[in-house]
Amino acid sequence: MIHASGLYKRYGDLVALDGVSFEIARGSVVGLLGPNGAGKSTTMKILTGTLVPDGGHATIDGRQVLPGDAESRRAVGYLPESTPLYRSMRVDGYLDFVAGMLGLGRAERKREVARVIGACRIGIHAGRAIGALSKGYRQRVGLAQALLGDPKVLILDEPTSGLDPAEVVHMRELVKELGREKTVLLSTHVLSEIEATASRVIIVAGGQLVADGHPLQLARKKSARLVLLMRLGVDDMGVTHEEIGRELYDAAGVKEILDVSDLGGGVKRCAMRVERSVGSDSLHGEPVAELVAARVVKRGWHVSELSWDGLDFEAAFLELVAAHRAAALPNQEAKP
Amino acid sequence: MRGLVAILRREFASRIDSASALVVTLVFAVVAQGLFFLLGHPVGTLQLPSFWEGSTASLQVVFAWLPLLFVGFVPALTMAAWADERAAGTEELLLAWPVSGAKAVCAKFLGVWLFLGLALLITVVPLALVVASLGDLDWNVVGCGLFGAFLLGGACAAIGLFLSALFREQLAAYLASVLVLGLLWIGGLLVPSLPPEWAEFVYYASPYAHFFDSAARGILDARDLVYHGTLMIAGLTANTLLVEGRRWK
Repeated sequence: MIHASGLYKRYGDLVALDGVSFEIARGSVVGLLGPNGAGKSTTMKILTGTLVPDGGHATIDGRQVLPGDAESRRAVGYLPESTPLYRSMRVDGYLDFVAGMLGLGRAERKREVARVIGACRIGIHAGRAIGALSKGYRQRVGLAQALLGDPKVLILDEPTSGLDPAEVVHMRELVKELGREKTVLLSTHVLSEIEATASRVIIVAGGQLVADGHPLQLARKKSARLVLLMRLGVDDMGVTHEEIGRELYDAAGVKEILDVSDLGGGVKRCAMRVERSVGSDSLHGEPVAELVAARVVKRGWHVSELSWDGLDFEAAFLELVAAHRAAALPNQEAKP
Repeated sequence: MRGLVAILRREFASRIDSASALVVTLVFAVVAQGLFFLLGHPVGTLQLPSFWEGSTASLQVVFAWLPLLFVGFVPALTMAAWADERAAGTEELLLAWPVSGAKAVCAKFLGVWLFLGLALLITVVPLALVVASLGDLDWNVVGCGLFGAFLLGGACAAIGLFLSALFREQLAAYLASVLVLGLLWIGGLLVPSLPPEWAEFVYYASPYAHFFDSAARGILDARDLVYHGTLMIAGLTANTLLVEGRRWK
């Protein structure tokens, strides 16, 4: 549905995109992630036809995105960063105007405006000036205009930026719902949002594609903290923390015992660094946890609780971006 | 075509709904009518008494003032057209919708031009009715003057819209437009004091030759149509290149 091939764009001396390629299939929500200035917005602008790349090309639904091609642009609903709207217009008037821009006739415009007002739940504010709405409702109006004409592709640049937690949750639900029928490319700085909504994430940094995959799949490639709460058997009350550490260290996938502490009543808490990918293609890495649990049970101890500690995807993202920066630095320094 | 109509309607309606646009239009109409009744046209080569002084059933005084009034009025109508889109970020969406830059430019131009036409009617028709009730007004001359003023306004609007697309701030767009349109007007005033080799060129480049000395006096000349048409096409083409060029920035 969306195909980007070798996208290259520079602003003066700054290379904003340097050969970014990816493909997104129909009916999925994909997160576009990266630090500030990574090239996310530039990618989105190229896909919507508001920017022409200096190299490479993009196609939407099989049509190349070209400045003069209205069809490829009709296939895309776009919500730019900071949701630019004509604030003096009424909500219904604005949506009718956008429907007119899409070339819809009077009856079709009326039907479409009613549909998107319902989908975005802005009916009670339809007769109000956009400028008088809260940030959350303005964001919904922005999304409503992107939905007009029932586009196959939705490109949303930071749709939850500046929203309060309740509005964020609503926007996420809306995006997930839309992702069942449409192809959604979503950019955000909020990593938890990607985890909550996207089935795939594309990470860009310094204008280059750094990673592409399921958020947990990316996290799985990195080490993570596993925390075990266990109750020792009556016969093992004298077992030292060093012995517990050694026992667990032998379990497959455990790279380091970080801490063993006594919670009283024979209950011990063990934090360990493990490799999530060991012995499994599973996204959640449960088999590693299972291996640790099996080791504990085999020793005659009881597993009270076993959990992953911290947001691993966040760590993975930071590691990927830092690694890219470190790799890019010598190249930049080598340039005259 | 529907996209063009949608923008045209929005541009026209945004001025009708805007209190500041209505106030500016009111000031334009009141000043034009005040000059017609009370001051006359004591400027440049064409010196005319006020309506009450001259007692002539003619609207030539008000037509004589229009080029200068347009210098202040037209930029007030055009300044926000593109500068505001850029400042608010809506230009990005405009470029993302399936409407070409050329259509968007033409639609904005037509929206402003139609509003300007309405402002001209509001200004001139009441004067014409008053004068016609008091004397023998030549309606052909009035019609010719109105048509010429409409063309001149279109040319000024095309220039103003192009300059609006150059800036993010409305005030900067307004001042730049006033400067450019003012230079065109002043050029005509300076003709008598210029060397002959320059005088002819400046005269034909100014609204004096193509409105002041023609349509305003009831003479419709094909060369005036070419002059105003050229200014409009040049302004709109430059505007389109500027807006479309942002895709390649």
